[in-house]
Parts: sequence; C-alpha cells; structure tokens
Amino acid sequence: MSTVSESLVGSSRSLSAAKRHKSIRKNSRRIYSAYQEQGSSDDEDKQDERVDSNDPEEMFQNIQYQKEIIANIRTRPWPMRRKLKVLKQAREIVLRYEGRLTRTRGYQTAGADLLKKVSRVLYNVVVLFIPWEVRIKKIESHFGSGVASYFIFLRWLFGINIVLTIMTGAFIVLPELLAGAPFGTTRSKTIPKEHLASAQDLDTIWSLGGYLQYSVLFYGYYGRLRKIGSAGYRLPLAYFLVGMAVFAYSFIILLRKMAKNSRLSLASASDENFTFCWRVFCAWDYLIGNPEAAESKGAAIVNNIREAIVEEQEKKKDTSLAVLISLRILANILVLLSLAGSIYIIYFVVDRSQKLEQEKPELTLWEKNEVSVVVSLITMIAPSAFELVAQLEMYHPRTSLRFQLARVLVLYLGNLYSLIIALFDKVNSMSSAVPVSPGNWSDSSSFLATISQPEVDSFSTLVSDISVSEHRNSTIATIATVLVVRNSSVSSSGSVFNQTALFEKNTRSQQDPCWETYVGQEMLKLSIIDMIFTVASILLIDFIRGLVVRYLSDCCCWDLESKFPEYGEFKIAENVLHLIYNQGMIWMGAFFSPCLPAFNVLKLIGLMYLRSWAVLTCNVPHQQVFRASRSNNFYLAMLLFMLFLCMLPTIVAIVRYRPSQHCGPFSGQEKIYDIISETVANDFPLWFSKVMSYVTSPVVVLPALLLLFMLIYYLQAIARSLKFTNNQLRMQLQTERTEDKKKVFQMAAARLQAPEAAVDKKPDEQESDITSQEASIHTPSPRRNGSVTNFNSPVRRGNSIRTITQSASRADLNRGRGAGSVRSPTVTILPKHRPEHVPNRKTIRSIHPVEAAGIITAQSYGGRRGPTTRYVIVNEHDPRKKLLRSATRVPRHYLMEEPAEILELYPRNFKRYPPRTAHRQPHPHRPQPSQPHLSEEEEEEDKGKGRRRLSLGKTHRPRSLSDLHQPAHFYIGDRGESHASMAKDRHTARGRCGAQEEDEEEEDVEMDWGGLESHSQSQTSLRGADSLLVRSRRHIHSPGRHCQSPARTRHMEAYVKPKTRPKLETPLTESDSASLASSSDQQNSSTDQYIQVIHNKEHYLKSSARQGKLGKKKSKTSFDLNVTESNDLVCSNV
Amino acid sequence: MRGNDLKQAWQRMYTMIGKEENPFRDRIVETFSEDGLGNLSFNDFVDMFSALCETSPRELKTIYAFKIYDFNRDSFICKEDLRKTLNKLTKGDLTPEEVTLVCDKSIEEADLDGDSKLSFSDFENMISKAPDFLSNFHVRI
Repeated sequence: MSTVSESLVGSSRSLSAAKRHKSIRKNSRRIYSAYQEQGSSDDEDKQDERVDSNDPEEMFQNIQYQKEIIANIRTRPWPMRRKLKVLKQAREIVLRYEGRLTRTRGYQTAGADLLKKVSRVLYNVVVLFIPWEVRIKKIESHFGSGVASYFIFLRWLFGINIVLTIMTGAFIVLPELLAGAPFGTTRSKTIPKEHLASAQDLDTIWSLGGYLQYSVLFYGYYGRLRKIGSAGYRLPLAYFLVGMAVFAYSFIILLRKMAKNSRLSLASASDENFTFCWRVFCAWDYLIGNPEAAESKGAAIVNNIREAIVEEQEKKKDTSLAVLISLRILANILVLLSLAGSIYIIYFVVDRSQKLEQEKPELTLWEKNEVSVVVSLITMIAPSAFELVAQLEMYHPRTSLRFQLARVLVLYLGNLYSLIIALFDKVNSMSSAVPVSPGNWSDSSSFLATISQPEVDSFSTLVSDISVSEHRNSTIATIATVLVVRNSSVSSSGSVFNQTALFEKNTRSQQDPCWETYVGQEMLKLSIIDMIFTVASILLIDFIRGLVVRYLSDCCCWDLESKFPEYGEFKIAENVLHLIYNQGMIWMGAFFSPCLPAFNVLKLIGLMYLRSWAVLTCNVPHQQVFRASRSNNFYLAMLLFMLFLCMLPTIVAIVRYRPSQHCGPFSGQEKIYDIISETVANDFPLWFSKVMSYVTSPVVVLPALLLLFMLIYYLQAIARSLKFTNNQLRMQLQTERTEDKKKVFQMAAARLQAPEAAVDKKPDEQESDITSQEASIHTPSPRRNGSVTNFNSPVRRGNSIRTITQSASRADLNRGRGAGSVRSPTVTILPKHRPEHVPNRKTIRSIHPVEAAGIITAQSYGGRRGPTTRYVIVNEHDPRKKLLRSATRVPRHYLMEEPAEILELYPRNFKRYPPRTAHRQPHPHRPQPSQPHLSEEEEEEDKGKGRRRLSLGKTHRPRSLSDLHQPAHFYIGDRGESHASMAKDRHTARGRCGAQEEDEEEEDVEMDWGGLESHSQSQTSLRGADSLLVRSRRHIHSPGRHCQSPARTRHMEAYVKPKTRPKLETPLTESDSASLASSSDQQNSSTDQYIQVIHNKEHYLKSSARQGKLGKKKSKTSFDLNVTESNDLVCSNV
Repeated sequence: MRGNDLKQAWQRMYTMIGKEENPFRDRIVETFSEDGLGNLSFNDFVDMFSALCETSPRELKTIYAFKIYDFNRDSFICKEDLRKTLNKLTKGDLTPEEVTLVCDKSIEEADLDGDSKLSFSDFENMISKAPDFLSNFHVRI
C-alpha cells in the first residue's frame, strides 16, 4: 500500500508540480501572515539555518520564508518591538544567506529594496498630485466617510470627464480649429447677416446664440470636408468615432469600477444580516473628529439602534394597516402626479418656446431660457416635495430613503427624457421644414402632405407631421385658430400667401435649422442653468440659513439650531443623484456639443470647491446615514443606468434622424452612420468592404447573436447553480452549528464525569506555560525523555506506520534528517508540499505547508460535517531539532520493517457518525488513493476559496475554554497508570456507544482536545502489550484565522501539553520537544489560524481488537477524505 | 511617556488626530499600550497608527477592533463588554432595558457556537460582512 501511495504521490507531484508550486506560495503567504511566530522560534531558525545552510535549495527556501515574514510583518498584530526584532532577524538571515547563495540574488534583493523605497517616495509624491486629496481627507476626518464618499465620487466623475474632454478635444476640437476651414469661410461657419448685429449682445451670448452658436462648441460648426488639413485628417469620421468612444469609454470604466467595488465588498455576497452587531460595532466612524459631527453621529446611532429595536418588536405585531396602506397609496399617487406634472410642464414649456420662437422675432431673456430654468427648478423643488410626501408613508427610514432615491431618479430621468423628446419634436419640425416644403406646396391640403411626407422624407409619426404642418400654418394665421381641420382649409385657400411666407421662412431657415446645434445648445444651456441653481441653492439654502441659524438663534424665541430651520443637512444621496443627473446631461449632449465635457470639468471643479466649503462651514451630516461602501456600487449602478438611458437618445438621433443639410460634419448624408460605410467603401481596400459586408450580413450576425444569447443563458445558469450551492452550504452550516451546540453539551457532560483529568492537567498546564513562555523547546524535553523511553521500545517494534514509510522516503530525500519520522505524516497528506518543503527548515517553516494542507482538509470536513470537523488534523511533520538529526536512521529503519500504514486523520467528534465505521471497514486502503485528490483540492481551494474558508472557520469556535479543558489533558506518556485509570473512567462513563466503544474512546479523547481549541496534544494510540504506538501530531488548523486576543493565546499556551513521544528514545523526545516548542510558538502568536492539536490516542484496551480497530480507523479516515473530496470540489467551485 | 507628561501629551494627541470625539479613545489607547493601562511607548504609538491607518489590512483591523471591544480582555466579547460598548457609543441615551435587548440580540445574531458570548471568530465573521467596517475603522492623522 505504501508503494501505491508513493507512486500516486509521485505521479501527482510530477503532473502538477508547477501548479502546486504556485499554490503553495500562495498558501504559505497567507499562512505566514496569519499565524504568529515568536522571536525565540526565530532564534531556532537561525541555528537551524546555520546547520542546514549547506543545502542551497533549503537555503533558498529559508530566505524565501524570511522574505515573506518581512513582507507580511505589517499584517501581524504584534507589538512594535517584536515586529522590529523579528524584522531585524529576518533581514539578517536574508542578508547572510542570500549572499552565500549567489551573488546575483543579493543584488536582486538590493535592487528590489531600492525599488521599493523609490516607489514609496514616488507614491508619496503622487499623492500630492491627486486632486483634492487633502481636502477630501479633511472632510472625511470631520464628517466621516459617508460625506467623503460624495466627494470621492465627484472626483471620480471629474476624472472621467477629463478623459472625455481629452478625447473630444484632441480628436475633434483641435483638428477643427487647426486644420478646418476658418471662421466665416463657409456658410455653416458664418453668422447670418440679420443676426450679426445682435451677435455680441449679452442675452444672445447668454442663450448661446451669436458667436457661440457658430463656434466649435456645437456640432454645426464642424466642416463636412472628408479630409482636412495637409495630413488629410478625416474629421467627420473622427467625429462619429469619438462620439461613440465617449459612450464606450464611459461604459467600460463604469463597469470596471463596479467590478472592483464588488470584489472589495464582501457584504454584497451574503444576505446575512447582523443588524444589531453592525450597529454596535461598526456604527462609529473613527474618522469623525468634529464635535458637531460626532454629536449628530451619536444621535444617529442612537436612532438607528432604537429603530432596530422597534423593528424587532414590530415583527411581532402590526399596527393599523388600513390607515397605513391608504396613506401610502395616497403618497404614491401624489408622487406620480407630481412626476406627471413635471413631465407635462417640461413638455409644455418646450412646446411654448417653440411657438414663441415662431411668433416673435425677438425673445425676452426669460423666454429664451425658460426651458432650462423650468427644468432646473423642477429638479430642485421636486425632491423636497417627495421628501415631504415620504413622511406620509411612515416607512422605515432606510426604505424611505430608497424610495426617495428611486423617485428622484425617475424624476430626473423623466425631466431629461421629456426635454429630449420635446426637443426631438422640434427637431422634426425643423428638419422637415426644408425638405418637405416643396411637397407641401404642391399639395393643396395639408392632409395630403402628411401622407406624402413620409415618402419624401420619412419622418416620424403622423402626429408630428400634422404638428409640422400646423406650425407652418400658424406662422401665417394666429395660433389660436389652429386646428387640424381648419388647417387644411386655410392652407388650401391661402396657398399663395402661404407659399410666399413659407419661402421667406425657408430662405431664413436654410441656415437655421441645424437641429444638432439646437439640441447641443439646449443641453449646454440646461447644464449652465443647473450650475447656477446649484450655486444659488448652496448659498441660499445652506449658507444663508446657516448664518441665520447661528447668529439669530439668540434673539429668537425658540432654539433655531435644534428646532425649526436648523442647519442644512448634507444629503449625500440626493447630492449624489444630482451629480448623476448632471453627468447624464453631459452624456446626452456630448455628441451634439463636443465641448460639453470640457464645460462639465469646469463645473465639477467649481462644485467641488463650493460644496466642500459649504459642507465644512454650514452643513451637518445627514442623520440618515447612507452606507458608504455599499452605496458606492449603488451610485455606480445608478450612473450606469443613467448612462444607458442617456445614450439612447443619441443613438436614436444617429440612427433615425437625417442630419441637417447645411451644417455639421455629416451634412448631405442620409444618415449619420453612413460615414462608416462610406469610409469603408472609399478608403479601404476592396477586400475589406467585402469582408465587412459578409460580417454584417444576417448570415453572420444572426448566429453571433444566437451565440451571445446562449452564452448569456449559460452564464446565468451557472450563476444560478452557484447561488444554489451557496445557499445549501449556508444551510449546512446552520444545521451543523446547531449540532455543534449539542456536542458542546455532551462534551461538558463528559468532562464532569472525568474529574481526575483536571487534576492531572494542572501540572501539565504549568509546564506548558513555562515552555510556551520561554518558547524554548529544549527544557521540557529531557525530563520527558526519561519517561518516554519506557514506552518507546515496545512501541516502535510492533507498529507499522505508513506515515513512517513515507517519512523514510522523505528522509532519504533530505539526507536523512531525524525529524523525518515524525514529519512523514505530513508528507503523506500533502504530497505536493514535499519538494518545496525542505525538511531541515525550522519548525515553523516546515509547519507552513502542513497548515495549508490542514486548511484544505479541514474544509473538506467542513463540507460534510460542518463546523465541528473544520479543524484539520494533519499529522505533524516534525520539527527538526539538531538533536534529532542524529536519529535519522531510525525512520528508515521503520520503513523497512513495517509496511503497514496508519494514516490517522481524525476529525473531532467521530462519535457522531458511528454508523460509518461499518462502511469503512471494507476499504482499508482508501486513504492513499485519496491523497492525491486532496492535494489537488488543496490547490483549487487555495485559489478560489480564501473567503469561504474564513467563514467556515469562524463557525468553529471553541467552546468556552474554562469548561472544556479540564478533562482534556491527559498524560499518557509519563504516567501510564493514572492515565490508564482515567481512560477507564472515561470509558465507562461514555459507554453509550456500545460496540464501538473503543473507537469512540479514541474519538472522545480527540474530541476533547479538539474541543479545547486545543492546544497541541499528541495523539497516541498506545497499545498495551504490543503497544502499537501511532504518534501523530496533528496540526489543526482553523481556517478562520486570526486571532485571539493575547489573553486567549495565553490560555492556549497553558494548554500546550508537553507530550512524550513514544518513538525511538532520543529522537522521539527531541522531536517531541521540538514539536512542543513549535506548537507553543504558534499558539503564542495570537493568530488562531494555527491551532496545533496533538492528539493522544490511547488504546489500553484489548490487544486482540486492536488490529481491527486500526483498520477501522484507517478506513474511517479514508472514508472521510473521500467524502470530503466531493464536498471540497463543490466548495471550490463556489 | 509617563505620568503627567502623558496626560498632556494625550490631550495633544487626541486633538491632533481629531479623535477627541471618539467614544472609544480610551479603549484604543489601552489596547495598543503594552502595559494595558494606556501608557504608550513610542512603539505602541506607531503601532496604533499602523493598525488604524487606511491601508492596513482588514484582518489586522479586525483583530484590533476585537481587542478594543473586548473590555475585560478575556478574549471574548461578552454581554458586559457589549453593554459597555453601547453605553460609550450612545453616551447613555438608551435605557437599560434597551441596552439589554440590544446586547442579547447582538449576541444572538453573531454567536455561532452558542456560548452566548462572541469569540474572535464570531466577531470576525460578523465584521467581514459588515459593509462599512473598513471605511469606518481608521483614523486620519
């Protein structure tokens, strides 16, 4: 069997060596960071180093290890002094041995160090240049991360706009300015004569007419020449491509950011809710330093907690539902009405401005700007109205906040959309005016015209056509008289008059109806007005109010600061929404007004300063805290939504509308996107256009679409199944949690029954304490040696330990280190680690790989069993003491003699699954085949699993130490008698399981140890006469990691049990001591990641039954492994 | 830093790091001091900021957060610890009944092993899912 296992191991090793290597690196890094290590252990390391340093491979390992220590030292919860010490030592070692290893390696590290320093300096410098970093940090330290998140978001938007500006600026605006036809040379670039006089008037400029209208700000200015300049820059093509690139870039950057965010926040992954805990432990924002902010934060926390309490209580009872429901319905109706109202108003205003334009030659300032003013007013007022309405609803504040946000978002979208639709209506009329007119004249009735129009020019709907004709008529007649019916008669009767009028209008509109420019103008205007309103609202609502509240509160009959006006709150959510809305406008208009992003950059800068000033001077943070980290993605999701919706109108315009005839880069084309096909046809080689035609033909497009759909479906299915497994695992966890509780009780009961144990334990504890404190392994060892020896001789003969065989092989590899025997178990479990893991390394080092293995196995257990089994028990490899080295031969010896193998992996609490034993018996060999699997699993898990492991580990917490540990400590080795008696006691006490008693006994012991959180205990199966001694040391590794507070660690140390090793005399003891030391070290380190458990297995029982039992054990373990494998796989997938 | 200097140094430091409003300031200092009494050596001081700075890893922060909330340093957050935490946080605004309720509920939520107190792993499990722990648990100098 051993040979089989060897071969398997070997093959697996060779197969996945590279992979393994990687995974191990990863593993070890994580592990290193997780557990702690003491200075003393480092000393040992050094000594070991010295001895072992001849082996370059080993040295390399050591150096790597030390480097990892150095790299991760920051993450360890040690006091600084210790960190410094360890760091120094590690550095020394690295320096010393690296030089010895190779020169180049030394240089490499020196170079790396230098690089690190330089990059650090650079980073510091770069931070200086991050815009507003200081400002944001200041705000953050005053008002907490919530408020700061707004500014960070603003800055991020600023960054996006910078890029957009660069794109449009570099590829559109600059070329046009440099190489395009200069101002005044073409018709689209000259101001019509009748406008020239007023072109510089303030109100013209204000409404973006005059010179501004005929400038690079807007679409209409750009020339239609296919190539401009001496280099032949294809401006129209560039215009189109950049227009698309703006959206593409925005999408990509948004999605990337979202992906990054969701990777960062684990919270989104789980639905688990720790309402109270979070409110208690995570509520306080440690950044808050401003007294007022702190006060309001405190109040907010109290509110939050009260809310949670109320919620909790309300889960049981429900209040007058009817009233509530009717109120909510009412509120929703109100909201809907106001939404509809705002949309109607906007539409109406646009319509009116259109009519006004037609009617009057000169428009007043108000008339010119009423559209944007109205829109901005609505966006300002409606949210407050919604807030009032929301109070009717009496939702939970968080829900109401969500409702509020949703409503405001809908409002903003509604505004933008009604505006853009109204604009497009106008566009319809404008662009149809020119081409349609001839047809219109010839037809006597406008009704006919409506039919002919689609043919002539293909314009939207019948309705719009009618409106077009209407409006044309209205230029002649009064508006009031316009009716469709009348319309026709008027137009037919007064056709002559009509014609002349229309002709006039047409000549004028030859230049005018550049609808793209018009849309761009409107968007820019909207953006400007919005900015003005924002500034005004900040000044009025926040600043003035703040002043009033602060200075007038003395001379007022009530307390202004706390009662009515109060200070303005900084409403993060609303403000973020406003930013999003603003960005939406930019996206919507960017195609028609290439300078819009540039304008937005300016606007954002202004907003940044103004807002931050306002926040610092006159705002208090919102009471209802909008969770920052979660909201980040929420903001982004809204932004994404906005982007999509804002892209639609542009796309529609591009696809559907015909570009203006006399202005813009696409004039003269049927559709804007024709530029692409035109370019492909004219400027690319023939084959390319052919390819393009193939690619765009249905033959290709349809299958591609189908493929996409299938892909989407597939991914969705996978996501669903993952979710499902996720849920199942959670359920499993829960059930196991409850089982766990039961187990605790059982264990407690067991403890009570074996009071002697406690007595025994005490001395042990003390010893262990000492040892652990000192972290010196050596002291305890001699004493134990003596006691151990007796056991040893019998033990070693009888046993066939598979682990040993392996160790021997190991030993061979490693030049026969004494540690081999002990270590070997590890190896069996983790074949992969071997190569990496040079035996000579220090205890700690050698442990690492094991740990990794431990984690994995633990998980596997966890999969089936849940929390209890989560500790992985891995036989301990043994630490290598110098003393041990002499003993190297022994393991080999074993090898020869004893082929049988015992791989003992015990999850805690075997009892639970007594029925399994029967199953297992048939497969004694199992453990070996399973090993390779395990290793593979490890790798997988390493990659994917980090997170899971954490969560799993957590569940597994030890019960209260005080209860449990007493019985747990047995002295087997030293005091055989007491031991035996104890064992008996327990045995009898626990006799419930009948036939399986023996097995159970073992398990019980294990359980105890495991339950204890346990400290290192050696698990020995002692057989009386034959004394089959299997001593395996296990590292139990709780995946959960980290830590315990120092107090905890102390406990743990106390528990560390010096165990005697019943192996070869000297070597055994040595190994023991070494292992002890290592265990104690690790435990000292406060990180829990590393729990070493050394189980004591004692079989004092019948020798006859022994073999069978052993078989059982093996089979059990094997079984477990197998079972777990499948689970692991599932886990890893998740 | 010992004795009277210390007090003054404290005041200065609190102001400097803008934490005078932090209800847990004493706990923070105690946690990071080696003697557990709140006397900080320079090393401890550096330690404190290295743990509370923005870039320190979540694991480390979790460890120290646990220590901070573990008032009696028994490696468990028991109800008493929770009560103290709550009282500091709310400055006594909650009634004792409310506090008790919240304590019970919190433990019920996060206690996975049923010992009616929070071990570190319970705590870590809970914290790792908290949406704003990372963003909240750091200080600015």
